[in-house]
Amino acid sequence: MNCPLETRENAALLVSHAARELAPDMAVRLDRHVAQCAACSQFIERQQAVWEALDRWRPEPISPDFNRRLYARIEELDRQASWWHRLTSPLRPMPARHAMPIAATAMLLLAAGVLMDRSRVPAARPVQAQVEMLQPEQVEHALDDMETIRQFDRAMRSDSPDPKM
Amino acid sequence: MGGAAVALDYDAELMLRVKEGDGASFAVLLEKHRSSVIHFVYRMVQNQAVAEELAQEVFLRVYRSRSTYEPTAKFTTWLFRIATHLALNSLRDGKNQRYEDRLDEQTEDQPARQLADRRPSVEQSMVLEARLDEVRRAVASLPAKQRAAVLMHKYEELEYSQIARVLNCSESAVKSLLFRAYETLRARLAYMA
Repeated sequence: MNCPLETRENAALLVSHAARELAPDMAVRLDRHVAQCAACSQFIERQQAVWEALDRWRPEPISPDFNRRLYARIEELDRQASWWHRLTSPLRPMPARHAMPIAATAMLLLAAGVLMDRSRVPAARPVQAQVEMLQPEQVEHALDDMETIRQFDRAMRSDSPDPKM
Repeated sequence: MGGAAVALDYDAELMLRVKEGDGASFAVLLEKHRSSVIHFVYRMVQNQAVAEELAQEVFLRVYRSRSTYEPTAKFTTWLFRIATHLALNSLRDGKNQRYEDRLDEQTEDQPARQLADRRPSVEQSMVLEARLDEVRRAVASLPAKQRAAVLMHKYEELEYSQIARVLNCSESAVKSLLFRAYETLRARLAYMA
């Protein structure tokens, strides 16, 4: 077996070997080589020293209220989501299987409404035509009403005290 | 590997239950992965407060994504992908103040960081503390992707394939990243043996 340290790619095998990550047959072959190769042996020793050094780095204790803070944020998230859901639910698209029949029904109703509306609305007429439709009796009644109001107004003035007195 | 496969199925199953609205399953996932996520992010950004804030964001994103979750990869791969993404963004944006910065600011008035109980003497304690600082600085000196790869490989024991998916690169690229990272660390830390 060639020395793994000859190429970088194979040297990475030594890291895996030191981490005991290699398949058993490859591990056995490397073990045989390392036993005879001072450079590889030293490489593995130094790599293991690195891991031992890294093992000394203990993590900091976690804040006791970590979960409480997280759940408070989740609760707030749910509250906002619920509020938003209620606000936007009328605008939210429905699943196609529900939306299609509703949309089809709405279109039918709309079309029917348009057709009925067209049949009911008379053709637009000029304003003059509406004036011509007034009957002579209606005009007489209106003139009578105006005369009654005028008389009432005169009577009220004659009953009122003289402002000069 | 068998155990890992069972763990995968269990985590994914829990997440699918969360998708169906089961809050208790989310609590189980949180308890199971909380420490590893916080510790990973802490070692990435080297600031505990920032790490916890980012870890909260990780779990919030998991919760928010529940409705669209599909178990296409291991749950931990997905989880660490989110965590790594947030940590790398934080490092890029310089939002965190790294541990080494705080060390530089340390004055005589402030007590030195203390290790836990097993300190037979002040001198030994100082030596251990100095070595620990050297470890932190060595890791902090690595480029962000190399750092993430080392932390996932060394502390989280993720497989190469998982690290590759987290970092969105090939397995051979991961091996190359790790080799270069460990090369740097060997140069700085191997004397501690």
